[in-house]
Amino acid sequence: MSENIKISVKDLDLYYGSFQALKKVNLEVAEHKITALIGPSGCGKSTFLKTQNRMNDLEKGVKIEGQLLLDNKIDIYKDIDAMDLRKRVGMVFQQPNPFPKSIYDNVAYGPRINGIKSKAKLDEIVERSLKQAAIWDELKDRLTKSALGLSGGQQQRLCIARTLAVEPDVLLMDEPTSALDPISTSSIEDLAQELKENYTIVIVTHNMQQAVRISDYTAFFLLGEMVEFGKTEDLFAAPKDPRTERYITGRFG
Amino acid sequence: MRHVFEEELNQLNKDMITMGSMCENAIQTATTYIRYQTADKNAEIVDIVEQINHKERDIENMCLKLIMQQQPVARDLRTITSALKMVSDLERIGDNADDIAEIVSMNNIPTADVEAIELIDMAKAANEMLSDAINSFVKRDDELAKKVIDTDDAIDNYFNNIKLKLAEDFRDSSHNLDSVLDLFMISKYFERIGDHSVNIARWVLYMITGTLEGNTN
Amino acid sequence: MNSEQFQKKIQAAKKTDKVVTTILYVIGGFFLVLLIVLAAYILIKGAMGFKPSYLSFTSEGIGNQFFNTLYLVVLSLIISVPIGIGAGIYLAEYAGDNKLTAVIRISIESLSSLPSIVVGLFGYLVFILMTGMDWNLFAGALAVSILSLPSITTTTEDALRSLPKSYKQGSMGLGASHWKAITSVLLPACFPRIITGVILAAGRGFGEAAALLYTAGQSTVLNWHNWNLTSPTCPLNPFRSGETLALHIWVLRTEGSLHANSTDIANVAAAVLIILTLVFSLGARQITRNITKKATGE
Repeated sequence: MSENIKISVKDLDLYYGSFQALKKVNLEVAEHKITALIGPSGCGKSTFLKTQNRMNDLEKGVKIEGQLLLDNKIDIYKDIDAMDLRKRVGMVFQQPNPFPKSIYDNVAYGPRINGIKSKAKLDEIVERSLKQAAIWDELKDRLTKSALGLSGGQQQRLCIARTLAVEPDVLLMDEPTSALDPISTSSIEDLAQELKENYTIVIVTHNMQQAVRISDYTAFFLLGEMVEFGKTEDLFAAPKDPRTERYITGRFG
Repeated sequence: MRHVFEEELNQLNKDMITMGSMCENAIQTATTYIRYQTADKNAEIVDIVEQINHKERDIENMCLKLIMQQQPVARDLRTITSALKMVSDLERIGDNADDIAEIVSMNNIPTADVEAIELIDMAKAANEMLSDAINSFVKRDDELAKKVIDTDDAIDNYFNNIKLKLAEDFRDSSHNLDSVLDLFMISKYFERIGDHSVNIARWVLYMITGTLEGNTN
Repeated sequence: MNSEQFQKKIQAAKKTDKVVTTILYVIGGFFLVLLIVLAAYILIKGAMGFKPSYLSFTSEGIGNQFFNTLYLVVLSLIISVPIGIGAGIYLAEYAGDNKLTAVIRISIESLSSLPSIVVGLFGYLVFILMTGMDWNLFAGALAVSILSLPSITTTTEDALRSLPKSYKQGSMGLGASHWKAITSVLLPACFPRIITGVILAAGRGFGEAAALLYTAGQSTVLNWHNWNLTSPTCPLNPFRSGETLALHIWVLRTEGSLHANSTDIANVAAAVLIILTLVFSLGARQITRNITKKATGE
């Protein structure tokens, strides 16, 4: 099966001041697939994730070299405004971070900043997004209630719905289940599997079993370098690089 | 570092080697029976085969436990899954040796008939294949494993030659038909032992290289 | 350590815990009692010499002063809230980690510790003498704003800083601009805290006397039928002199000859002032609660 490349990263270097956090990273994110980024803490995988929707613009002293192409034509750092980009490349964070607003207002937040005002249209988007995030049935009777009253797993699915509401092409997930219990974790994992039909997903995870379970491709990062990238089943059954082998088998350090 | 896991993998390795040498022992014992018609001491091989079966259970349990507890990946995953596959081949080899011993114990085969065909050579070749397969596992030697896979043709040759000879004997009505049939069965068992050894070597190869022979990816 | 020693240690720790808790309760209780006694004293004193005419808009009553107080506080909030919240937003969200920011911070700190009489005299110098105007409410409001600005600014900054980073990330991650994130998520999220700062600032206006002495002035001549905003007797003209309740109390007690009953009037004024402050504070909190509830969902 031939796959379209959604984001291609060419020779990406990233510096925090004088510290080089990413070194000549090359990677191709396949469309409608789940790509997992694994590696020890501080290896640059989260930093790498953030470059794809320029969330690292928010941090001070970040310098980027190299190229990130969206859909093989749009240079993420040159041809597109960061705010536009983030509507196309959405992000779900490690800690569920619903706004202190009602469930409805959380989901409608993105569409509203995009200028959608019609109540009917917003209702439709809210319902569709919550359904996509598989949480509509649980929440449909309490849309006006505060989102902060939800459980961690519900909050995270709400945050996914909130991101889906702006209809991005790509979903970046930064350790989306690390703060959740096993059952909520499974529900988010199932959700990711369903969402890849319509979205391209890049997920950072510390849980290697999670990467094995849900991803199609896996990239292993170490000290700012992308050591190995391949089909998940190949990388976990027979890694090519001894550093990958050591890391995933827990013989690191 | 995963010290406990390391230890357990070491133990698994040792158990595999032990089980391998049990199987070699079983083949040698069966071969001795054929050669010296001493199958009345059948009890010996029954004992060995029982030990092999025990070992198989132990190793299987250990592998299942390790998969559950450690969720192994990469080389660890390949080692453990290979071990799981290899023990069933080893167990079958034990069974084959037992089957051979049982046939011999029926005392249908005159020593002259055994000597008329290349059965003992075949037995030695099969034993050597198993021995090499086990060694390739012990030393993580992919070249040796490949050699085992290639040697399969030699065993098949032995079997074909023996089959032709026995077919001739079969047509010759002066021959003891029981003996011919029994010898045919025995040689078939040795051929099976060769096949199981090849399987073992394939899993050793997978364990080392990560690619499964015949796998198109 | 053997178990007996361990038990002793636990016992000792429990004892310390109890002693400290008791002390803290006593301190808390002390403040409560102090407040109740003071309030009760003022209210009772006010009630004792009360005459309905004291609440009138005549020269005997405090109606005009009451109105002036409210008007001054509203004026000062109109000035100080936007500036204070704006400064708080700037410091929390935009100010770089540099010399300029440090200077601004030091200025705000010094401002918050200025004695109000100094602000009053400064106001007199700048808003009255330099502009050549007479004492007026607007000048008073400016002076009070100077006093309340630091507290509004720091509460806003602290409130914004105390929010989880994830609010901003979440908002901007959905394509919002920085400013949009501030107005649509961050400010609503810390609205109750900012309102607390505003209430404190307003309290400053209610009670302030020294800063108003030479800015808002000590006289009030109002014609409640005059709605010509430029007229010095129009109640809504911010550029007329206007004595507030607190100032009125001070004037009554220092220049007792103004009225025969000036002590009683001052007591009533004090009671009214305390009730006004309380009502304002409770009212503001209730409104905040309602708004927050609407904004955050139940």
